[in-house]
Amino acid sequence: MSEFLIASLAICGTFAIYHIALWVHRTWNHSLTAPVLVATTLVIVVLITFRIPYETYMVGGKWINELLGPAVVALAYPLYRYKDTLKKVAAPIVAGTLLGGIIGISTGLLLAQWAGFEATIVYSLTPKSVTTPVAMAVTESIGGVMPLAAIFVMIAGIGGVLMHHYVFRLFQVDHYLGRGVGMGSASHAIGTATSMEVNQLEGAVSTISMVMSALVVSIIAPSLVQLMM
Amino acid sequence: MEKVGKMIMHIGLLYIIFQFGNWIQRTLHLFIPGSVIGMIVLFLLLSTKLVRVSWIEEGANYIVANLAFFFIPVTVGIIEYYDLFLGKGSLLILIVLVSTMLVMGGSGFFSQWLMRRKEWKHE
Repeated sequence: MSEFLIASLAICGTFAIYHIALWVHRTWNHSLTAPVLVATTLVIVVLITFRIPYETYMVGGKWINELLGPAVVALAYPLYRYKDTLKKVAAPIVAGTLLGGIIGISTGLLLAQWAGFEATIVYSLTPKSVTTPVAMAVTESIGGVMPLAAIFVMIAGIGGVLMHHYVFRLFQVDHYLGRGVGMGSASHAIGTATSMEVNQLEGAVSTISMVMSALVVSIIAPSLVQLMM
Repeated sequence: MEKVGKMIMHIGLLYIIFQFGNWIQRTLHLFIPGSVIGMIVLFLLLSTKLVRVSWIEEGANYIVANLAFFFIPVTVGIIEYYDLFLGKGSLLILIVLVSTMLVMGGSGFFSQWLMRRKEWKHE
């Protein structure tokens, strides 16, 4: 099969599966049916059933990846739209995100160390709450393994979407501000995507948290690691 | 048809800003990804009215509402590491999940508490 045909199939297939996932979410409307979860699972099922290697899928998938950049740029629009509201709640967002960054690094370090993992693995796990390129840069600077760091980032993203409903219920978080900060701080852009599905204001809060969290973690991770290891 | 054309123009503009963000990142050797720099650039352009909302609105709304779609190829990549889920590696996943839970609950609870305290004071 030609490259072009494979790419078109992968892109159209992913688009179709995404729309099935949207329909599933509309029908059941459960936190476990978040479109990113259902669509990812369906694509994986298709790849395994038809024995399609990930590399082959990515012939088309890389084009969708290419649009991830402008997609993140587009997040500026809700920020702009709600800038007056956001200005008033800037302090709680910043404070919550800062606390989130400290909790993420310290609990990651402590738990992994306590479980007896070697230092390179512990370091790779440290920046898991922030967006992939930043997490990889932080991991490199503190002495972890970059591809491993990228996997942990993904687990934090998918896991956060999977658990958010239960976590917010457990911690009694029901305000758009708390939800947005929680999703952005813990699950970066994948969490922000889920917040945007609720409404643009929660999504905008999540966007700020995600960006702030990337800054906070890259600044404090190296010193917290030195302090705790 | 006109709507589709508009959408393509909007997304094209977002793409140009993304590449501009990448260029800034490379030139200044920043650790922040080009896409995030692009987001800040677009925010500034909108705030200074150098870019009008109508130039990006439909495209940005569509992308933002369907953000999850753009993550699918990345998240599907997790199948490359299925062996990590076996043996002692599963413990790492558990650690990441527990830590993620604490970050989400802790940061969300704290910011909500600060917010409610402020709202209460105003009344």
